[in-house]
Amino acid sequence: MSPTLAARAKILKCLGAGHEAGGATPSQSCPRDYIRRGSLDADGRLAKLIERLREYDAEVAECAPDGLASEIATLLARSGRNSFVAPAGVPRQWLAPGVNWKIDGESGGELATEEIERCDGVLTACFCAIADSGTIVLHHSAAEGRRVLSLLPDWHLCILRASQIVETLPEYFDRCTEIPALVTWISGPSATADIEMTRIKGVHGPRFLNVIVVKEQGMGSRE
Amino acid sequence: MSHAQQPILDPALAPPFPQAALPMLRDTQLRKNVAHATDVIQAKRARLIAEKSDWQQLRSAAALIRDEALENLGGYLEQFETRCKARGGVVHWAADAAEARVIVLGILQEENASEVIKIKTMTSAEIQLNPHLQAAGVKVFETDLAEIILQLGELEPSHIVVPALHVNRSQVREIFARTMGLDNLSDDPQALTAAARNYLRRKFLEVPTAISGANFLIAETGAVAVVESEGNGRMCLTLPRTLITLAGIEKVLPRYGDLEVMLQVLARSATGERMNPYTSLWTGVTPGDGPQRFHVVLLDNGRSAIRTRERERQTLRCIRCGACMNACPVYRQTGGHACGSVYPGPIGAILTPQLTGMKHAQTLPFASSLCGVCYEVCPVKINIPEILIDLRAQVTDQERGKAARFFDPMYLGMRVANLLFSRAWLFHAAQWKARIGLKIFTSKDGWIHSLPSIGAKWTQTRDLRGLPKQTFHAWWKQRKQASR
Repeated sequence: MSPTLAARAKILKCLGAGHEAGGATPSQSCPRDYIRRGSLDADGRLAKLIERLREYDAEVAECAPDGLASEIATLLARSGRNSFVAPAGVPRQWLAPGVNWKIDGESGGELATEEIERCDGVLTACFCAIADSGTIVLHHSAAEGRRVLSLLPDWHLCILRASQIVETLPEYFDRCTEIPALVTWISGPSATADIEMTRIKGVHGPRFLNVIVVKEQGMGSRE
Repeated sequence: MSHAQQPILDPALAPPFPQAALPMLRDTQLRKNVAHATDVIQAKRARLIAEKSDWQQLRSAAALIRDEALENLGGYLEQFETRCKARGGVVHWAADAAEARVIVLGILQEENASEVIKIKTMTSAEIQLNPHLQAAGVKVFETDLAEIILQLGELEPSHIVVPALHVNRSQVREIFARTMGLDNLSDDPQALTAAARNYLRRKFLEVPTAISGANFLIAETGAVAVVESEGNGRMCLTLPRTLITLAGIEKVLPRYGDLEVMLQVLARSATGERMNPYTSLWTGVTPGDGPQRFHVVLLDNGRSAIRTRERERQTLRCIRCGACMNACPVYRQTGGHACGSVYPGPIGAILTPQLTGMKHAQTLPFASSLCGVCYEVCPVKINIPEILIDLRAQVTDQERGKAARFFDPMYLGMRVANLLFSRAWLFHAAQWKARIGLKIFTSKDGWIHSLPSIGAKWTQTRDLRGLPKQTFHAWWKQRKQASR
């Protein structure tokens, strides 16, 4: 028996024999009497998300569905940056003209890490956003990109439809009809408070997080 | 630096707490740094807890989820193993620290790794992994800002969430300027952080092997979750070819959905944030995304033995948020180094001696006023004071029988007390003698401020109420006689 198998047997024996290695059973004992569902309407959720994102120093813009392409172009231009990367799954109309685009995963070709590192910014979609904690959730689908895409460039622009906003964290889990293999929960730009508890924005992850919320028909105007 | 001598964080070698605490108490800079950091985190935490109307319900649910995982720990670990393997992960089991070190080094040698990048993991500090790897010729690069400060400054961690909280900005500046060769570096945290970013950027892109810990293992899917702030974690989890995750066996959660509770309580308790900047979850190997070779080392190292004890089992609920140390009046005075363990503070006081099978760190359970604030702030409701008292009893049981302890003043005193309290006439005689004997030490205000010899151990730090002129018994007798 290899050492790790011997250790396995020893540990499992100490943890008690006769375990069922079957599926996880839903807990009978755990009372779910914490708040699972929020109480805000769509406008309230949007307002809360924006407030919480701004508290993290993230920048948030709102636009109508037909104004998205021009809003993206405006933000890219205002960023003063020139080379951007996007996953192949984002809609073509998001790729505003006038800057250099590198597309990851186009016709099966993945960009090299060094190529992504040389990009100034990244544009992605997201799976969901949680208003309560100002969190953007990525499941790294084709429009959200591989994990490295939203990590190396210093500037991240994330496109979010208002209907993707939930109020509470449990509501996000309710939306996961399938359990994802990869998840990144992003709450504001990279930060540290390791030196005298002073919050410093931007360590290794993107230093700038920008979010455009696309408001669907029928939502109130808040500007 | 203000400390001349490095603290020892190996429980087998560390001096007893009262001895180790003395230099810390004299180090005013250290105490100032610790007080400042813990004040800031506590204030942020309190503000966020106050806005959460269901905080107590979340705590109860978190405790129950952890208990459920611990109840059927073997089953959930097997399930995790099966699912992780099915997704391309390799699962190793280590009964103790030595086995875990051998496994990790073995993987690195198979990878021909001369360098490795690391995400902050207290479990690796517990098994003293870094010195072992360095001795075998593998260069270790810590990537968390606090861990870089400690590694470059050759300092020891003093907190489980903000391990360098005892170091202030000018000390960090000195370390970075010296080790990175940056003479003109300012002590502005922004500049210091930028220096760390530059120092590590190429390492992230070039070193093909990484080591991480785990905040949670998900039995249902075989996934691992890591909670962090800086993005150094995401770098280590995404860029290298090979990833090794070292996780205590107690880190399992039954289901993915359990994170809806754990992620709500963890960041709020740890750093006073609604959510930490980055949480990453991955399941085995994903083709085209992240490391293509993935190893998990499941470490026991005393945990399964803790689980067998009914009252102490709750120790393993711990999710390493550090809220108990931030709140602890003892930790806030001494900092973490006095505990002689990588797990300081109240959780360390119960975890450290138990991890060693009660063979070491026996003074830690006594280093508490039992005020209960650690229990109050614990997001998984570990009744730390209850366990402290239980461990005190265990330590006393160990010592009582030892021949060397026979003439120990405390045990001598206890034996005398035992004798006196079990015989009324002896007790009354002792009271009478004590009243006479203590009279000259009792000042006019009725308090004893200073006692000689062994009694000084008490009066050094507190006053003792003088004995009353009349005992209760005498008063009772007198009252009966008077009413006749």
